[in-house]
Amino acid sequence: MQIPRAVGLALWLLLLSALPAAASGLAFIINSGGASISLVDMSSLKEMGRIPLLREPHHCALSPDGKSLLVGDTVGNEMLFFDPLTAALQKRMPVPDPYQLGFSPNGKFLVVNGLARNQVDVYNAASMQLLKRFPIASMPSHLDYAPDSSRVFVSLQGSDSMVAIDLNRLTVAWTAKVGKTPAGVLWHNGKVLVADMGTDYVAVVDPADGHVTERIHTGKGAHNLFVSPDHKVIWVNNRVGGTTTSLDASTLAPIRSYAIAGGPDDIAFAPDGKLWITRRFAEKVAVLDPKTGEYETVDVGRSPHGLFLSPKGIAAASVAAR
Amino acid sequence: MGDAFDLAAGWLQEHLLLPLLYLLGLMQWEDVSYGWALFAVYGAVQVAITFAVCMPLERWRPVERWPDTRAVTVDVLYTVISRVGVLPLFTFVLFYHAQVALNGFLADHGFVPPTLERLLPFLLDQPVLTFIIYAIILDCADYWRHRLSHMFRWWWALHSLHHAQRQMTFWSDDRNHVLDDLIAALWFGAIALAIGVPPLQFPLLVLLLRFLESLSHANARVWFGTAGERLLISPRFHRAHHGLLAAGQRSCNYGAVLPWWDMLFGTADFGRDYVATGDPTGEEALASGSYFAQQWAGLRRFAAAFARAGRSPIG
Ligand SMILES: [Zn+2]
Ligand SMILES: [Zn+2]
Repeated sequence: MQIPRAVGLALWLLLLSALPAAASGLAFIINSGGASISLVDMSSLKEMGRIPLLREPHHCALSPDGKSLLVGDTVGNEMLFFDPLTAALQKRMPVPDPYQLGFSPNGKFLVVNGLARNQVDVYNAASMQLLKRFPIASMPSHLDYAPDSSRVFVSLQGSDSMVAIDLNRLTVAWTAKVGKTPAGVLWHNGKVLVADMGTDYVAVVDPADGHVTERIHTGKGAHNLFVSPDHKVIWVNNRVGGTTTSLDASTLAPIRSYAIAGGPDDIAFAPDGKLWITRRFAEKVAVLDPKTGEYETVDVGRSPHGLFLSPKGIAAASVAAR
Repeated sequence: MGDAFDLAAGWLQEHLLLPLLYLLGLMQWEDVSYGWALFAVYGAVQVAITFAVCMPLERWRPVERWPDTRAVTVDVLYTVISRVGVLPLFTFVLFYHAQVALNGFLADHGFVPPTLERLLPFLLDQPVLTFIIYAIILDCADYWRHRLSHMFRWWWALHSLHHAQRQMTFWSDDRNHVLDDLIAALWFGAIALAIGVPPLQFPLLVLLLRFLESLSHANARVWFGTAGERLLISPRFHRAHHGLLAAGQRSCNYGAVLPWWDMLFGTADFGRDYVATGDPTGEEALASGSYFAQQWAGLRRFAAAFARAGRSPIG
């Protein structure tokens, strides 16, 4: 899941000023195997309702204006727009194979990866007009942007490479070998970090040419990585090892490893400092307290993948009653 | 109940498949392997439930008793290969790149495969109803695939393997030539392009349908009553399709789960009572050969039928 950084930060500041220590609000958990969204009450950690989708949804992204949560249904070939505060459905739109999606930091572009059709689509975020389709082999999976929105970096899970697309010229800037099975992508301090699912490290990549400058060992099957809202810690989920590793964001030195069984995948940060981690094969979400290393468990649907926390959200009665 | 099976699949994925993929450097297939784990677990449960129900039925009211049941063993192998997913996995790998290329090509030309829910918006909040409607449509499509497989000589050369069994039991459902299975997969793929893939989040319903298909082959005097026979396909109804007289191009009762298509298209025969099964026109290897002997014989007959079709204008 990819929240544009500016919006994320603004939201964060807003929350810091308004919220009590305990989290409250609404969590959207996307069950890829169950074709649904579980709506979870963030304070009681109970599922309140389930929204049925078409076939196989995976990821979501908040629109630049913060008014819509976009959820991509890959096999259903559909993009769904939800009100992030109430979970009310705003609209549905036919979009081929929307797997990972993310808005550029300046809010101008929406990039959608079609993993099952080897294509990367660049949309005009405001009009949802397709600007250009890049056929790229193979299995384009995760993405992140340069902070100035000049480039998007896409990992190619089915090959050993990553591709950088110039968003101003709409051309491929470079394709480079970065590891074995590149997965999660994160721009960080002028570098691009790529988690390598086929090995046990995160590669540090030079955004200018795709050259790997350093490798940070985290755990077997390093799959996805996220930076904490205060930008002090980078969190890496290791799929095969069943661990979540925290790295010091300034030095990239490992801080601590947490055992999170069941195939940890995506992470969202709650205002109370806890991490919500989807556990794909356990049909659960772990709510991890990084201070103690303990986690609470939320039961959701089959193969939970992407997630979104809406701390000010309240599910409408009609949704909760489902 | 479904949750327990899901978690079993999750366990298989986490503790067996993922470490294996990691070791082999195939981690890009981890999503696929989880799908396969689900398929395999539900397949194993299907086999177990079918066995638990059909075995006592076959003991209780057998149509035929055989002194030697060796010919049944190969059907057990067919069932395991297909239900636990060796065969589906093989077709998936074989067609993966073709499918990706086709998806990309269609997307480039602005074609987004439809779904029934988009055509009939009232279904949008009704995934179970949608599944049932898809199941009915696919059952109809399967009726026509099956009927055609009897019509064309080259296709019958493959499908006659299914009919060769003289000791038909609930294990016989998956007894098919691999090429016949492949054609079925392509047939299904073409339909999916036209009307979309059915919602796959109901493995228990799939389990029920597959159970009914197995049951219809059981060596048991079981029927559903005059009205019930016209609602769902019973062992009695499908046995008529496997009858000695029904083998080949003029058969009856082609349906898999619903008898409606046979009734609608004039091929239903509710009159035959627990007939003997088999294909007297086929060769012995198809009936009593080993798995490979059966596959080889099917392939040989398939090639011969094609050669014949090349010489005469009538396929
Ligand atoms: Zn037949
Ligand atoms: Zn049959």
